Amino acid sequence: MPSLAVMASKKEVPQELSTAPFDPRFPNQNQTRYCWQSYVDYHRCRKLKGEDYAPCDYFRKCYESLCPFAWVEKWDTQREENRFPGKI
Amino acid sequence: MTNHMNHTFHMVNQSPWPLIGAMGAMITLTGTIKWFHQYEQTLMSIGMITMIMTTIQWWRDITREGTYQGLHTSKVTKGLRWGMILFITSEVFFFVSFFWAFFHSSLSPTNELGSMWPPTGIQVFNPLQIPLLNTAILLSSGVTITWAHHSILENNYNQGLQGLFMTVILGLYFTALQAYEYMESPFTIADSVYGATFFVATGFHGLHVIIGTTFLITCLMRHLTLHFSSNHHMGFEAAAWYWHFVDVVWLFLYISIYWWGS
Repeated sequence: MPSLAVMASKKEVPQELSTAPFDPRFPNQNQTRYCWQSYVDYHRCRKLKGEDYAPCDYFRKCYESLCPFAWVEKWDTQREENRFPGKI
Repeated sequence: MTNHMNHTFHMVNQSPWPLIGAMGAMITLTGTIKWFHQYEQTLMSIGMITMIMTTIQWWRDITREGTYQGLHTSKVTKGLRWGMILFITSEVFFFVSFFWAFFHSSLSPTNELGSMWPPTGIQVFNPLQIPLLNTAILLSSGVTITWAHHSILENNYNQGLQGLFMTVILGLYFTALQAYEYMESPFTIADSVYGATFFVATGFHGLHVIIGTTFLITCLMRHLTLHFSSNHHMGFEAAAWYWHFVDVVWLFLYISIYWWGS
């Protein structure tokens, strides 16, 4: 058994892992809609409350956990080109 | 072939129409594919002319067998009725498939559509304008065809003629309004699943209205040549069933696609 000092040195820096919590609006295994709604809510929130309003980040964390990167890239492009189908 | 038989069945004669009709159908199919791929309509037109000529002459033969040769006994007529019932049942399921596609797409619209129905950017028809008028037209045509039916049952030639004529006019008016609506449409069949489900469902319904109107015009012409009487009008009844079926399909289209779907 290694000494306490060695065990302490191997201790990892605690990292906070988090993902989108269960949302009863999206009870299915397929979470596409949860991803999409979070993306829309994030941009709606920022439009309404301003870009520096911290609580909006909750929605960003949700869609960043749930959405494939390619979708977010596609939707970002669509928003830039003013052809995103959702209401923001 | 004589009419002297010891049974009530109709032993049919040799006829070219099944074979020619089958060839016409195959030529139409091949020609339509050729049109899709090469923008060339000659073969399709030959096929369609063959089919139209076949149906005209086949059904002409059947009216001769039934009305002039008396070969349609009550037992044979029973078979014809069942044939029409089964045919309309199959047509019901044909339309069920389009409603299935519509509800599949509209009850849970995908995020590509903006998660809403009608999808983002689709400008739909106002259901209280031409579509409501069309509903009134088809419901009225249901009244006029019943008027014609009761007139024929009472051997009232003139009112039978008037009822049939009015029904045909209402059918043509419906088709004209749908054609106008299609020309004015702000979306096309290629505009998302909305355009696809809308035009496939209403387009096939329109095709059935045209077929039903043709059936009614045939009845009108047969009535003009005194084919119908109170105990001989199975062809008219088949046309009336078909017309009611087309009417009911429209009510479902109106309620779900035009009204709920807007």
